[in-house]
Amino acid sequence: MNSEPVNAYNKPSQLDRFEIRIAGFGGQGVVTIGRILGVAFTVHDRKNSVNTQSYGPESRGGACRSEIVMSDGDINYPYVRKADVFVCLSQTAYDTYIHDLKEDGLLLLDPNSVPTDSIDDGYKFYSIPAMELARQIGSVKFQNTVALGALYVLIKEHLNEESLRKAIAESVPRETLEENIKAFGIGLEHMKAHYAE
Amino acid sequence: MPNNRHIQPGVHYLQGSQACVEGAIIAGCRVYGGYPITPASEVMEHAALRIPQIGGRFIQMEDEIASACILLGASWGGAKAMTATSSPGFSLMQETISYGIMSETPLVIVDVQRPGPGQGYITTSQEDVMQARWGHHGEGSIIALAPASVQEMFEFTIEAFNLSEKWRTPVLLMAEETVAHMRERLIVPPLEEIRIVNRKKPQDLGIAPENYLPWGHDMVAPMANWGEGYNVNLIGLVHLEDGNVTKYDLQMHDACVKRFYHKIEDNVDTISQIETAHFEKCKHLVVCYGSVSRTAIEAVTEARKEHNLEIGYLRLKTLWPFPEKKLRSLIKKVDTIFVPEMNLGMMKHPITEALRDRCRKIISIPSLGSLHTPEYILSVIHEELK
Amino acid sequence: MKKHPMLKYLKEEGPMGDRLPMILCPGCGSGQVLNAAFHAIDKIIEEDGIAKENFVFITGVGCSARLTSHYLNFDSGWTIHGRTLPIATGALLANPELRIIVITGDGDTGAIGGNHFIHACRRNIDLTILCINNGLYGMTGGQVAPTTGIGLKTSTTPYGNTEESFDLSKMAETAGATYVARWTTAHPRQTVRAIMKGVRKKGTAFIEIMSQCPVHWKETPVDMLKALKKNSVRLKGDEAVPNGKIPIGEFCNIEKPEWIESYQKVIDQFN
Repeated sequence: MNSEPVNAYNKPSQLDRFEIRIAGFGGQGVVTIGRILGVAFTVHDRKNSVNTQSYGPESRGGACRSEIVMSDGDINYPYVRKADVFVCLSQTAYDTYIHDLKEDGLLLLDPNSVPTDSIDDGYKFYSIPAMELARQIGSVKFQNTVALGALYVLIKEHLNEESLRKAIAESVPRETLEENIKAFGIGLEHMKAHYAE
Repeated sequence: MPNNRHIQPGVHYLQGSQACVEGAIIAGCRVYGGYPITPASEVMEHAALRIPQIGGRFIQMEDEIASACILLGASWGGAKAMTATSSPGFSLMQETISYGIMSETPLVIVDVQRPGPGQGYITTSQEDVMQARWGHHGEGSIIALAPASVQEMFEFTIEAFNLSEKWRTPVLLMAEETVAHMRERLIVPPLEEIRIVNRKKPQDLGIAPENYLPWGHDMVAPMANWGEGYNVNLIGLVHLEDGNVTKYDLQMHDACVKRFYHKIEDNVDTISQIETAHFEKCKHLVVCYGSVSRTAIEAVTEARKEHNLEIGYLRLKTLWPFPEKKLRSLIKKVDTIFVPEMNLGMMKHPITEALRDRCRKIISIPSLGSLHTPEYILSVIHEELK
Repeated sequence: MKKHPMLKYLKEEGPMGDRLPMILCPGCGSGQVLNAAFHAIDKIIEEDGIAKENFVFITGVGCSARLTSHYLNFDSGWTIHGRTLPIATGALLANPELRIIVITGDGDTGAIGGNHFIHACRRNIDLTILCINNGLYGMTGGQVAPTTGIGLKTSTTPYGNTEESFDLSKMAETAGATYVARWTTAHPRQTVRAIMKGVRKKGTAFIEIMSQCPVHWKETPVDMLKALKKNSVRLKGDEAVPNGKIPIGEFCNIEKPEWIESYQKVIDQFN
């Protein structure tokens, strides 16, 4: 450290933040998706990102939240202010966080957890039956990677697919890599099949 | 010398707790003693994984008192040593910190602060900043740093070791749950470019055991470790330079305590670090530290851009020793000073002492248990300046 | 006059010398324990070829702690009340070559440091603990200790002690120490031999020495030494020791993995 006062913020604060919030229950792999996105953005795409997760007694078993703030510049405030994308995997998460989604924000949800007829008017939403699709590859534990595949389609202008695949490979246990890559593909293809570009 | 078991230069994506341990290893930490406590356990878990890989020793002790004592013994045994705890555990370590100040023992304690009093809660806090300075019994100064990012959890841990070795004194890293748990980019520079400070040794200065004064020779005495044949009698009573306590008198008492007090306080300008932004000719000022500074700079930038407020930003990277003179030389006249903190206004006190005649008003922006949002800081600023 | 052979281990003269006499009261048993420790280490230096500079004496606070303070011609630490064992553990973590002798008292070990005491024994870390048990707090003025017998009057039990006491040697054995012995200041040769065994034991060695405090028990040192001799009974197998007598001898002498060695195996995986 230099002993003289330094001006650390020569560039204007980056207001062009891109914020993703993922929320559901503990055990759905919410925290893992956040971490994978962080590694993809920062280590492989060389962008800046901050990943935080819900923290408190409620994070054990109950509601669970993971956040990613991404920017080409510095990130100061580390938490989501108004989410650009909200990945919602439980009704509780929907009720808690829906009002923190930007008006033109994107909502990705699992229709088996969040009935689509309860969605507030005005939000553009995408359905990904992540749990159901994950069962097809043998275990609901891959639902987070299915959701990640679907999420990727929504944020692909900000993230390189190859970077995300590398981050997945580095973050999941070696013995489940094949299933995870498959789950990622299923999520991605589901979105392409159901929603036009 | 760094080897391939150190974290490698380049871009990493780590939790603040992990970055802290990686920094410690680069600084030369080879002993870690700890006791689990939320939200500091991640530091300990990463140390348990990494310290043996580098040939060091990790031990989980029976309580925080024992953990702090591990550092004391390890430091005199010749190793750089660290522990991490959270606020209730930090309270238990105060007696050892006090002994470390008196005996001039280099050691590093990380406090991942949580709210209090009592068990408080397990979220984030800056409620130990006064305990850091005044929690230990007796006179004697302390060095405390306040990191605000994962990068700084890495860099400030290295700096904490360097300062503790240079000044032969306990150094505190006052982290918070916010900065310890977040994951963020860490850029590790080429290892040979990282400055590492090691304690001064009597052997290197050509001082023979029969002439060695464990608390003498200089303002910061060279330190002989146990096992080097210097017959050091480590002591926690006020003492003469040679460690003799039989000749107690008030003059000796005065000289002993004042020397290690002044070695820190008289060097506040070299030890303390300040960062500023939008500072020149600002009319108002936000003074902050730790992760709150991340919200503060966001709020200051927005206030300037969207509301044309002439408001500046100043961050204390070092909390203690408090840089009163430096602040007075930087800040000649402002209107209102805002002090956002994750407590009810603790650092507002020394800030007020330093700057009460350099401003019209000093406003505390308190938050208990969570990081301020930019909207909150902005709302207080607007309310005050409307 | 011929000098005491162990004076060489005290800062008696020279530039750092001139610190004697010790602060302890006349007739105190602590000096006898230090003398026994010096004799044991003197022999070990001679017989085992261990360098003198590898020995470190660590004490806490109390009368026993004054045995290091600033008197020793060894490396030493006069440290925090009750915290001798974690501090000694830290030193060993930094440098396993050190041979650490912890000198402590019954209050330091059994009360304020009780938790550290049982955990050090459990870990079986390579320390030699000499515990001088005089049955009360001497330095602070003769208050009751966790080792004070029931019914006894002290400055904080003016109506007699109403609490049961600890048997520190049994505690050490139960907690996992690998060498445990108890002697008294009336058994100097046995004490020296026990300390030698303790230092040579790879693991936690606990040697309790029942000692006299003539000042606070208000008896003469000679009477107290005689009483210690009379009231102690040698442990013989499972033979019961009569009530009111002090069992002396070896409580255990076993082999078990020592912590520093066990942890070295963890470190060695990465070499």
